[in-house]
Amino acid sequence: MSGDHIHPEPTSFLSKYVFSHDHKVIAKQFMWFGLVWLGIGGIMAMMIRWQLAHPGDPIPAIGMFLFPRTDGVLDPATYNTLFTMHGTIMIFLGLTPLMIGAFGNWCIPLMIGARDMIFPLLNMLSFWTVFLGGCVGLYSLFVPLGANEAGWTSYATLSTTIGAQGHGETLWAVAVFLIGASSIMGGINYMTTIIRLRAPGMTWGKLPLTVWALFLTSVLNVLFIPVIGSAMILLFLDRAVGTSFFTPASLMQGGGGGDPILYQHLFWIFGHPEVYILILPAWGFVCDLLSFFARKPAFGYRTSVGAMVAVTVLSAVVYGHHMFTTGLSPMLGESFMLLTMIISVPAEILFFNWLHTLWKGNLRLEVPMLWAIGVIFVFGLGGLTGIYLATIGTDIFLHDTYFVVGHFHLTMAASALFGTFGALTFWFPKMFGRRMNQTLGKIHFWGTIVPLTFVFCLMFAMGYSGMPRRYFDHTSAEWLADLQHMNVMATHAALLLGAFQLVFVYNFIKSRWWGPAAETNPWEVGTLDWTMPTPVPYYNFKEIPTVHTGPHEFSHPALGDDRDWIPMTEKLPG
Amino acid sequence: MHRLKTLLSTRLKGCAALLALLAMSGVAHAQEAAETANRWGLGEPASDYGYRFTDLFWFITLLVGISFVLVLILIAIPVIRDRARPGHKASFDHGSSLHDKQVTTVISVITFIVLDAWVLVIAMQDLREAYWAIPEADQEGVYQVEVLAQQWSWNFRTPGIDGEFGTADDILSNSELVVPVGRPVSFQMTSKDVIHALFLPEMRMKKDVNPGDINTSWFQATRAGDFTILCAELCGYAHYQMHGKLTVLEEDTFNEWEREASKLALTAFDPEDTESQWAWDWEQ
Amino acid sequence: MRAAALNLPREDDKTKVNMTLGMIFFVGSWAMAFGSIFLSFLVLRQRVGVWPPEGIALPSMPMATVATVVLLASSVLLHVAVKRGEREAGGVQSLWLGGIALAVGFAALQSWLWLDLMAAGRFHTSGLYESLFYGLTWIHAVHVVIGLLSLVWASVGLKTGRYGSHRLSTVSNIAIFWHFVDVVWIVLFLGFFVF
Repeated sequence: MSGDHIHPEPTSFLSKYVFSHDHKVIAKQFMWFGLVWLGIGGIMAMMIRWQLAHPGDPIPAIGMFLFPRTDGVLDPATYNTLFTMHGTIMIFLGLTPLMIGAFGNWCIPLMIGARDMIFPLLNMLSFWTVFLGGCVGLYSLFVPLGANEAGWTSYATLSTTIGAQGHGETLWAVAVFLIGASSIMGGINYMTTIIRLRAPGMTWGKLPLTVWALFLTSVLNVLFIPVIGSAMILLFLDRAVGTSFFTPASLMQGGGGGDPILYQHLFWIFGHPEVYILILPAWGFVCDLLSFFARKPAFGYRTSVGAMVAVTVLSAVVYGHHMFTTGLSPMLGESFMLLTMIISVPAEILFFNWLHTLWKGNLRLEVPMLWAIGVIFVFGLGGLTGIYLATIGTDIFLHDTYFVVGHFHLTMAASALFGTFGALTFWFPKMFGRRMNQTLGKIHFWGTIVPLTFVFCLMFAMGYSGMPRRYFDHTSAEWLADLQHMNVMATHAALLLGAFQLVFVYNFIKSRWWGPAAETNPWEVGTLDWTMPTPVPYYNFKEIPTVHTGPHEFSHPALGDDRDWIPMTEKLPG
Repeated sequence: MHRLKTLLSTRLKGCAALLALLAMSGVAHAQEAAETANRWGLGEPASDYGYRFTDLFWFITLLVGISFVLVLILIAIPVIRDRARPGHKASFDHGSSLHDKQVTTVISVITFIVLDAWVLVIAMQDLREAYWAIPEADQEGVYQVEVLAQQWSWNFRTPGIDGEFGTADDILSNSELVVPVGRPVSFQMTSKDVIHALFLPEMRMKKDVNPGDINTSWFQATRAGDFTILCAELCGYAHYQMHGKLTVLEEDTFNEWEREASKLALTAFDPEDTESQWAWDWEQ
Repeated sequence: MRAAALNLPREDDKTKVNMTLGMIFFVGSWAMAFGSIFLSFLVLRQRVGVWPPEGIALPSMPMATVATVVLLASSVLLHVAVKRGEREAGGVQSLWLGGIALAVGFAALQSWLWLDLMAAGRFHTSGLYESLFYGLTWIHAVHVVIGLLSLVWASVGLKTGRYGSHRLSTVSNIAIFWHFVDVVWIVLFLGFFVF
């Protein structure tokens, strides 16, 4: 467990591939799990966009199969379920297992010079817990009164038995609880591993920024997932046994009442750190990828770490900006506005460091680098639009409109997704020993970033024009009907975006099994994971390495002219 | 230069093709739906504080737009100028010198002041002067409206000509609200079931309506006409249908309307109908 | 199974630190969970003008006090057991079993508290006070059950020799979990019966 000794190799099929304790196998389990759910969530998005552009038209191809009772047409309740589960799936079952489960597991032990995670059994349990959570979520789609329809935010009292009958919502709460438990297990494991199992010489100042980011993500996971855990428990109790934590007195017979707004506080105390949980790993990847492919140190390593730490610390005190129209006291509202603006400062610092890393580099515009630069683009755009929402004067109008949808899809979905694609295309050769097709990779990149930017920028126009979100049909209200042209354009772009993801699916699967063999270190990068042979042996390091050099010493003058990189185990000449 | 040409030609060709495709399809469909006007943006606001939203929005857009163009330039220059090629080396710089840290600090402070602090000050003014400046109950000319939201329609109640809530001449309506122009309209709102939100887009007003609690809001109309009421908080499967009509009348027309509506309410009043007696004491 | 049959290597210092660190993070996480539940309790409580609400049957304060004392005693016994194990002194198993016995005693007293209140006609659906009382103590009870099962598991391990002075981390961590359960109860006791 302490990582010093090499344990015997697992032999049975179950111990090698199913209940493996090997972080590399668990990483791949999380990866396939996350990719499948990302696909399911993506298809849901396509259906949502279809309905918005063509209200009342049956969904092409899959409609008759999925919704036979309505001849392939979505009804309003199903539509609400779709956007609810789209959000839930993308966040909890797609991005989290992929970025944190898969890459946390793959990168951490290999990059710090450890043989495995410090608690391998806990690691395995973490995967199977999220798997179970996914099963519960999937099952909830098939219960008689349908799955959760109350949005991924599931505000009370829409989510209590007042607004939602049936088992769907209850099962959703259970699923979120299980998925959260999995994240806590992972968080404890990652934090302890990074603190305790770094190889000799691997100081905190030499950690790849990916590892720093995953460490801070784990801190947030361990501290704030329990908050939504408690919200889910209270919601479950309200629904299943009839307590009244979130039901106000006016809607109950006798006794004092609960408070629906309490739910919102609990949810967003978790919810805001959650968006940082989702973006920090991507930030980590980007910091490292930019350095790796610009052949230059990550500019301002310590300031970047400081910025990520600052964001982590501040993430809990800005949550009220999701509640500006709820009726918070003016003093609270203004405090949240100020704090939200303050938290943008460390993010800006990180952003400037990225730009400065590119500046006067020697840029290798390989596919992972394209994705990293893509993150700079979408996160810059999305982040700047946050200003409109942090400012209460504009948020009052823009709250619950498509402006918000555009903002969080750019900052959270696109940025995290692009970071994930960057990580996938970058670590693919080490994970699978093969190369992905670079041309297809570039087609996928451009075919994603252009339509995506179009869709979500259009949403800013939609929001500004007053189009509310979570509406089944915008043509029902006359004043909104003349915005319908925007819906149509966005849907076309979204369908195009969806279609281009098939390029990735094809590339990924084909390369995984039939791709050309990759060299041991195709990207010429010095971090410890790339010093490993491919495939990486189950024990990782035969001898725990000693680290002498930082992870970003690219183009160091002492390296001379024939190479611009140095493995972390080597000493810099001179 | 040749490098630039090749770069621009293939990459931009691809993007241009994609964008053209998108635009063409949009235009095609827009022409198809030519009966409805294709609106981009908002019309003139119909409330006295309505200009504040668009003013602040476009001010922020100016700042954000300049910033983003700067960012694009700072991405484009290295991507074009610093691409890897034989003989080219990266400039080795950890960016950890004292000078770098000082520059970072200065840039951060300037960015905060320009993008955030300035906007913060304007917003706080807007909030205190307008959005949160809910008129007092005894203010001259205030028109009070109690709102009871339900799944899925809006119930409105005004005190009628006796000026008191909870009396027989209270004017009750569903999905339609009539208010006078040029007088502050003050809302107290609650919900019967789940959280809703009263959204009057042309007035630029939005406030959540919570069960078990009373929220307040207000606006003052600047012109007569018919306007939209929308719900802006997911409240169930018919959330999208929870819209209504806000009618603003000139003073004389309104006074006449109120007299008639009050009289009608008096005759229609049924003391047995407890469901319609949901008024509450207007709190200070 | 005889103690000698399980010949497990001595735990080294590194492993002890690792396990303790992991446990600290785990307890930190759980503290956040109970913290937010307790925060909810405080928020909801201050919405009610009079606390405890007048005119309704309340859970028995004397019984709750006895339960608290029993629970504290169980923690003390477990703590002493762990300390003796670290010093390789004897009596670890009997102290541990004593702790379990008191823990079971607490569970019994807790159940009595609920049954007593239910007999007075107050159920979890009766109103906010009851929602809070039953809800929070049930959440606590789940952890009491998990704790009890872990305590039993540890005692089996102590008997078979799987755990002992040579490998104490798991046992000591389980005791820490029980102490945490204890602290949460004290906070609940203060919130419902004292303040």
